[in-house]
Formats: sequence, structure tokens, C-alpha cells
Amino acid sequence: MAEVKAVEKEVKIEEVLEPSLDKELRIKRKKVVDPGFDETIKRLTPEKIEKTINAVLNLRKTAARFLAPLETCIHCALCSDACQYYISHDKDPTYSPASKLRLTLWEMIRRKGKVSPEFIKQCARIAFTECNICHRCSMYCPFGLDITYQIGMVRRILFLLGVVPHNILDQDNSQSATLTQLWISQADWIDTIQWLEDETRLEYKNLRLPIEKEGAEVMWAPLGTEPKIATYHVVRTAIIMNVAGIDWTVPSRDGWDSVNMAMFIRDFETMQRVVLGLYENCLRLKVKRLVLTE
Amino acid sequence: MYEFFTNPSVYTFVRGPLVWIAFIIFIGGSIYKVRTLILLAKKEKVVFPYMSLKYSLRSILHWLIPFASRNWKRRPMMTIVTFAFHICLVFTPIFLLSHNTLWYESWGISWWTLSEGTADVMAMIVLFGCLFFFIRRIVAPEVKFVTFASDYILLTITFAPFLTGFLAYHELLLPYKIMLIIHMLAGETMLIAIPFTRLGHMLYFWLTRSFMGSQFGGWFQARDW
Repeated sequence: MAEVKAVEKEVKIEEVLEPSLDKELRIKRKKVVDPGFDETIKRLTPEKIEKTINAVLNLRKTAARFLAPLETCIHCALCSDACQYYISHDKDPTYSPASKLRLTLWEMIRRKGKVSPEFIKQCARIAFTECNICHRCSMYCPFGLDITYQIGMVRRILFLLGVVPHNILDQDNSQSATLTQLWISQADWIDTIQWLEDETRLEYKNLRLPIEKEGAEVMWAPLGTEPKIATYHVVRTAIIMNVAGIDWTVPSRDGWDSVNMAMFIRDFETMQRVVLGLYENCLRLKVKRLVLTE
Repeated sequence: MYEFFTNPSVYTFVRGPLVWIAFIIFIGGSIYKVRTLILLAKKEKVVFPYMSLKYSLRSILHWLIPFASRNWKRRPMMTIVTFAFHICLVFTPIFLLSHNTLWYESWGISWWTLSEGTADVMAMIVLFGCLFFFIRRIVAPEVKFVTFASDYILLTITFAPFLTGFLAYHELLLPYKIMLIIHMLAGETMLIAIPFTRLGHMLYFWLTRSFMGSQFGGWFQARDW
């Protein structure tokens, strides 16, 4: 019993995050260490933060989806019940969707971008780890405001500042360099497909994993994890396609990975390249349909 | 308006020119705000291609009927108060007998009016609605956390014309004429405030709701109520 209590005590350790912030912005959270937050904020300067935030906030003047919710929200907090983070934290008001905006975007607007690196770190914590961008809050908002779009803009600011969870930033870097999630080279990809075909043919006679078949019905775009660490997924897809008699193919060139980690951190430039890569492969192979894993 | 030039006083000023100014700013400002938003939305590639009349109306309708959406069902108290409040807020000033008389005196037009007793009750509902929202802002932790000074100011702007109108009608607290001047000032403040503050949700509701309705109906193939 004493042990259980000790464990409970350990789990329930809560401390005020970022005690240097203003009183109304201090929230209680368990401490989490992520080099993507802790190390990157050391590189930030007040000028850099202000310039970046204002560059993104100026989009308000040109983007209706950004502007309308800010000018409409009447702060009624009816969105709270929608949020799984809010519900699973015993209705802690700091987890409600409106509160997340109040702690991040609204505060940036109020201070015209003049915020501290500690504030940016807290924003990163909220925008990346306490919101899924699941859109449920929009279903509960009487005005149908796109709250997640606003959180997305916070993520955009954080991405431009480089304050992104380490793991996701690595995957984003991988996508910008190789168009795949997990640093898979073109040679690795082709090799994986070929040895998987060889191995599976031991069990399934004449099974094909056709690469670069022009004019096929379907082009399949897997997730990067499948050829990298979960090859049995590729095998299963191949078996299904073969048994179902579908005329299918996979591309040999980069642009076969349907994961878009860039989208999650609002790296719009890489995000577009990933999608473009898929469509370019489809056009090149003249396929009729693009099938993604999910 | 004419009265002000023949007999300039505070009363004739708030009754004449200020009403004109307030209505011009209210209507002009509203048109400007809505037009700006629509023009901005046209420039965004992902707004208008997804807009659909069917899904927009479906969504607006479900949120304009009490208890027709999941969130309205979950919060019956809030639903009843907010619907009663908003209906009374919009219709009391339009159909009030005294306001109708003013329109008739100035322009010779009039329309259906509320009986004085009904109007009294409706004004009370607005006042209690404001009080409910005020208490909610203090008591409910999730609302308190997102409450700013501006929220109280907006509540006051809404509360003032109805309180002063009520007091003026019953000739309470202050002499009738002074109370009437305060009432007209409060009403004009509210009209001017609507397009330029978050009271503008009156205008933007239709646009944001229909975009979300179209997005959920046409894009996610889901309901948004």
C-alpha cells in the first residue's frame, strides 16, 4: 500500500511550468524534457521572436480563415466539452480549446509579438502536445469557428522559430531532404521492394511487387515506416493486391511516401513538395488511382 | 434631426444627428466588415470551392433551433438562457411601441408592435441573461480563464440600453428625460459597437457557421452539430 501511494505521489508531481511568466499565464503541468524545446529556445532572441510572430500574425489581414474566428469568438468556453485533453484532465480549465488560444495566440496578439523564450516554450508544449488538431471543438462551437486552424498558426510560428518536438523535426528534415519520413534512400526503397518480392514468392507463387509499371490501374503509396521497420505491412498489401487481381504498381522515384509530417508542424513548403511528389509519380506512371496506407 | 437645428440641446442631439450617425456607422460598418471578409475568403483557395448551400443551411438551422445540436443538448440551462436572451435582444427594440412611435413621427412608418407588458418581460429576460452570463464568467472556471476586461465591457454595452430603457419606462432612479438621454446614448453606443467589436458575431455567425457546415458536410462527410 505504501508503495502504491509512493507511486501515486510520483505520478501526480505537478509543478508550475515556466515560473518566470506572468501570473495569469502560469499553468501546472508535469515536467517534460525535449531537446526540441529546451535547446532550441536558447537560440531565440527577442527580435527574432517578434519578427517571426508578427510575420505570421500579419496573415490575419489576408486570410479570412485566420481573421474571422479572432473577431467572432465571444469567449463562451462552450468548446471545452469537445476536447479530450480537457475531459481527461478532470476538466482542468487550462486544457480547454479556448484556453489554449488564450495562452498562446491571443497573448501573442495582445503583446504584439513581444514575448519571452519561456513563453514560446510553453506555447510549444500546448500547441504540440496538448492539441491533436482533431476538429472536435469546431463541432461544439456555436459559431463553428475553426479553432484548430488557429492552433495550426501557433505551430507555424513555432516551426519558423525552430521550437518543434525533436522527433517530429527530424522527420520533417528527412522529408525535406528525401521526401520520406525516415531517411530512406531511393536505392534502399527499390532494394526493399525487390527482396520482399523474392521472399514472398516462396509462399505465394508468381506474386509480383511491380515497380514502375506504366499505365497500371493503381499506384500504392505506403507510409515510410512500412518499408523501413514494418515490412510485413508491405507483404500483406502485396498479397491482397495479387489475390484481388488488381493491376497495381509502386513508383521507383522519390515521392512514394504518403506520410506528411511537415503538415503536422505547418511546414507548408515541405508539405506541398510531399503531396506534389505523389501526384507527379501518378502522372508519370499514368495510373488511374492513388491508394494510400492508413 | 430638424428639431436639433431649431432647438439645439443634448436631448435633441442624441435624438437627432446622433441616431443618424449611429445607424450609418452600424449599417455601413456591417456592410464593410462582411464585404471585407467575403473578399478575403475569395482570395483563399480553400474557402469558396468547398462552400455548399445545402450543408450551410443544414448547419445554420441545427444551431438556430434550441436543443437541435449536441452541445445545446448537453447544456440545457445555457441553451434556454442564450436563446431567450438573443431573441429578446433582437426583437424587443425592433417591435417596441415607443420605438415604433419614433419611426412613425419621423418617417410616417410603423409596423407590428409588442404590448407594453410583453416588452417589459422581454427586457427583463435580456437583463437576466446578461446577469447569467456575468455570473457564468465569474463562477465557471473554464469561462473565467478566457475572460478579459473586454468581455465585461461588451456585456455592459449590451446591458446598458435595456437597463436604462427599463428604468426610463418605469420612471425610476433618475428623472425621465435624463434617463432617456442615457438610454439613447447607450443604444447608439451598442449600434456603433456591433460591427467593430466581437459583438460582430451577429454578422459573422452566418459566414463562419456556413463555412464549417460546408467543410464538415462536403469534405469530412460528417455532421457538425
